[in-house]
Amino acid sequence: MSTPQALPRVALTWLLVAQALAILPHFLHVPLWLAGFWLACVTWRVQAFRMKVGYPGPTAKIALVAVAAAGAYVSRGTLIGLDGGVVLLIAAFILKMVEMRSRRDGLVLVFLGFFVVVTSYLFDDSIATALYSLLPVTALLAALIGLQQSPGAVVRPQATLRLAGQLLLQALPLMLLLFVFFPRMEPLWSLPVPDKKGITGLSDNMSPGDVAELSQSTELVFRARFEGPLPPRRDLYWRALTLEHYDGRRWSQGYAAQGYGAPPAWRRQGNPLRYSVVMQPTAKPWLFGLDVAETDRDDVRQMSDFRLQRRRPVDRALLYQVTSWPQAPREVNAAPQGMRRALQLPSAGNPRTRAWAEDLRARYPATPDLVKAVLAHFRQEPYVYTLHPGEGGADDIDQFLFETRRGFCAHYAGAMAFVLRVAGIPARVVAGYQGGEPNAAGNYIQVRQFDAHAWVEYWQPDTGWVSADPTFQVSPERIEQGLEEALAKEGTFLEDSPLSPLRYRNLGWLNELRMTWDNLNYGWQRWVLGYQGEQQLAFLQRWFGAVDGRVFALSLVGGVGLAFAVVALFLFKPWVRLRDPQQRAFRDFEILLARQGLRRHPGEGPRDFARRAAAALPRQAAAIDAFAHLFEAQRYAGEPAASQALRDALKAVRRALPWRPGVSSS
Amino acid sequence: MRTKLEACLDAINRVVLGKEPQVRLALACLLAKGHLLLEDLPGMGKTTLSHALAKILGLSFQRIQFTSDLLPGDILGTSVFDKDSGQFVFHPGPVFAELVLADEINRATPKSQSALLEAMEEGQVTIEGATRPLPEPFFVIATQNPVSQGGTFALPESQLDRFLMRLSLGYPAKAAEKALLLGEARRELLPKLDPLLDHAELAALQAEVSRVRASDALVDYVLRLVEATRSQAQFAWGLSPRASLALLAAARAWAYLAGRDYVIPEDVQAVLGAVVGHRLRERADATGHGGGTLVQWLLREVPAL
Repeated sequence: MSTPQALPRVALTWLLVAQALAILPHFLHVPLWLAGFWLACVTWRVQAFRMKVGYPGPTAKIALVAVAAAGAYVSRGTLIGLDGGVVLLIAAFILKMVEMRSRRDGLVLVFLGFFVVVTSYLFDDSIATALYSLLPVTALLAALIGLQQSPGAVVRPQATLRLAGQLLLQALPLMLLLFVFFPRMEPLWSLPVPDKKGITGLSDNMSPGDVAELSQSTELVFRARFEGPLPPRRDLYWRALTLEHYDGRRWSQGYAAQGYGAPPAWRRQGNPLRYSVVMQPTAKPWLFGLDVAETDRDDVRQMSDFRLQRRRPVDRALLYQVTSWPQAPREVNAAPQGMRRALQLPSAGNPRTRAWAEDLRARYPATPDLVKAVLAHFRQEPYVYTLHPGEGGADDIDQFLFETRRGFCAHYAGAMAFVLRVAGIPARVVAGYQGGEPNAAGNYIQVRQFDAHAWVEYWQPDTGWVSADPTFQVSPERIEQGLEEALAKEGTFLEDSPLSPLRYRNLGWLNELRMTWDNLNYGWQRWVLGYQGEQQLAFLQRWFGAVDGRVFALSLVGGVGLAFAVVALFLFKPWVRLRDPQQRAFRDFEILLARQGLRRHPGEGPRDFARRAAAALPRQAAAIDAFAHLFEAQRYAGEPAASQALRDALKAVRRALPWRPGVSSS
Repeated sequence: MRTKLEACLDAINRVVLGKEPQVRLALACLLAKGHLLLEDLPGMGKTTLSHALAKILGLSFQRIQFTSDLLPGDILGTSVFDKDSGQFVFHPGPVFAELVLADEINRATPKSQSALLEAMEEGQVTIEGATRPLPEPFFVIATQNPVSQGGTFALPESQLDRFLMRLSLGYPAKAAEKALLLGEARRELLPKLDPLLDHAELAALQAEVSRVRASDALVDYVLRLVEATRSQAQFAWGLSPRASLALLAAARAWAYLAGRDYVIPEDVQAVLGAVVGHRLRERADATGHGGGTLVQWLLREVPAL
């Protein structure tokens, strides 16, 4: 059995470092037993290198694989899908380290490592992750270089690292070129989004407590950059979806709204708002926009309740352009019969509210008056805006309106829609976000989960849908200034996250730092992650004029070819001609012999080379010797330079040599 | 003249068996007017080679055995008061010979070593205020034991630089050693050697050697070699101009011995190891000894054309 090529020490060092760096970001989502597993395996490997323990035998290997697979199965419940797959991949990455004995194993490990680095982008594609991944990539490159050293060589790890860094720097222009020009292809299949259970956000049904829960989360939902000045905060009602069905406890999306009905009727009117939105992945198909929103994307359409819906769920950051018409009338001419869905009510429950609503109806026959009366009720009665409204009972709207009078936006919106429906006015709850924090550095608005909001829209003939916000009556601060001010008295803003920087907005420098960092991330999402598909085409068109796909592909190939040509020119420098005719003749002589498989080493003198060539090609020895003699005489013995004589001698060598390589003339 | 040189080589090779390349290098060293350092284990034939060279070239020969209590006066000579004339009379030391064998030079203290090394460089010695010229020609063949052996004072780089070549004889081949064991004792052969050259002939040879043509292209190669030692990272330091002069002179002598009146790159390569080996150190091992791998690198990587 031949012993496989052993691993150099420097390669092992860098492999260990690279493995640690590549796995580290994964510990945010992989089960923790992997950390212990990794430590044990690293210890084993290091001890094996120090010859204290042996390498795992076949039985041990099978046992280790079984343990890793079982661990992945137990902690993830499956081995299929992204979550289980990544756990298995990392376990394999760790196990390969233990098993590694030869250079070939080391190479496999390095490429596995690159793959592990790439998979971390599936979980987090922020700028911090991208910058961090340079570390494991550099370490992997250093390991790759280390693997090329001979095992006995004493190479310091720093030297390999320096070389790896140089390689990375040299790859930078190519990376930029590929980033700009490489066509982004839509995935052939959609990867299941990793573990979106953890993602908080709006869902397609709402009980009052849900929004209160969202208000504890500082997670970013989207950022919007307006062309022109920012609209006032109280106009920023970001619609996500409407909730039409009420079952006595929860509001949920109506069945009709879920399907692809005919687009609703509306008319553009007034001044439009134009803005672009970069939204974080939500695992839900709906997009956010101010009423009434249109987008530029082909895979997004406006649904019957004016929300924007994408064909596929948003499973990674998405950039889209929106035009909104705030003054546009909506479904003005719809038949009142068509609004029956917006009048649905459970058959029983909340009797006091029903009685009150019917009383209102009797007092205010005109719809606008009735709505005004309801809003005035919320304004005048002692209602409290709070994150701790207390538990609701069976008739929770009754309880809320007449007893506790403490609630959150969802309570107010739900109660008002209920009252309007009892009074015979088509109404529904709109769920979305309200407001957002302007970022002065980047001139955009960032909307976080705690900006989640619910409001009401009702319909009347000749006017269409009209939005109304009962929360504004109770707590105008919530709408005009934001949640923090609305809860200032109560002091419950982000009470569960004392370390969130958002709590310390009054500290100027901290806030500025946070804003700058956010602006950086926004730029990353807008210009780097968002640079694909239409963005890319638009960018290229701006630079190179209108191009179609074929021209683009051709120029891509041409560009890459050109880049290689430039590199080749730089490497071989064909313009550096040998000016010395003797040297040129000798180079031609070398080329002739190289075709016969005879290459001169750089340090080999002309006489030694000629002697070697003559020994290898005894038939042509005379011609070769003659040329070498002439060359030596002219170059070293001080005979006058006669390039013609050299050329003639060279011709003789050429004639003597077989014209085809490897075949000797007979 | 060349036939005489060939005869010299043959004669020496009959005494020192199986060491043709080293003998040729040693002769080249003397033709290039350089001093020679022989480094090897005791008993490898260093002294025999020096003796043979002195005999064949017809030079007056003195041997100084270096020991740790050797004083500079033992090398250079001293003035002794003469009762009869009532004056101090200078008694020249062993250094006043045409060929001086400094045996085991690294066993003496640096003070005594430098007395000899100064004489080598200047071609004269200054004792008690009087400068006395050394004979012409003047050669020093120094031998030293490997530095790793006990009781040695390693020659510093500045003094190593004064030797044109450093040679190591090495163990003889099996056939040569058998002939050695079967034949006469080598020391007994030495007195039987006859001088083949006289002083005039030697001077003429040396003059001819210095006239051997070194073309532009060849000097460029020497410069490339020297430049490589100065610019490449693995060299602790580069070669001095004295070293490049030595390299060219040795290559000329080698070419002359090969019967040519011009130098080719192969001549430079043939003498490169002997001429620069003791002047180079690896950066990774700057206190270490010998630049064997560096010389191999130079031979392999520096373009000969």
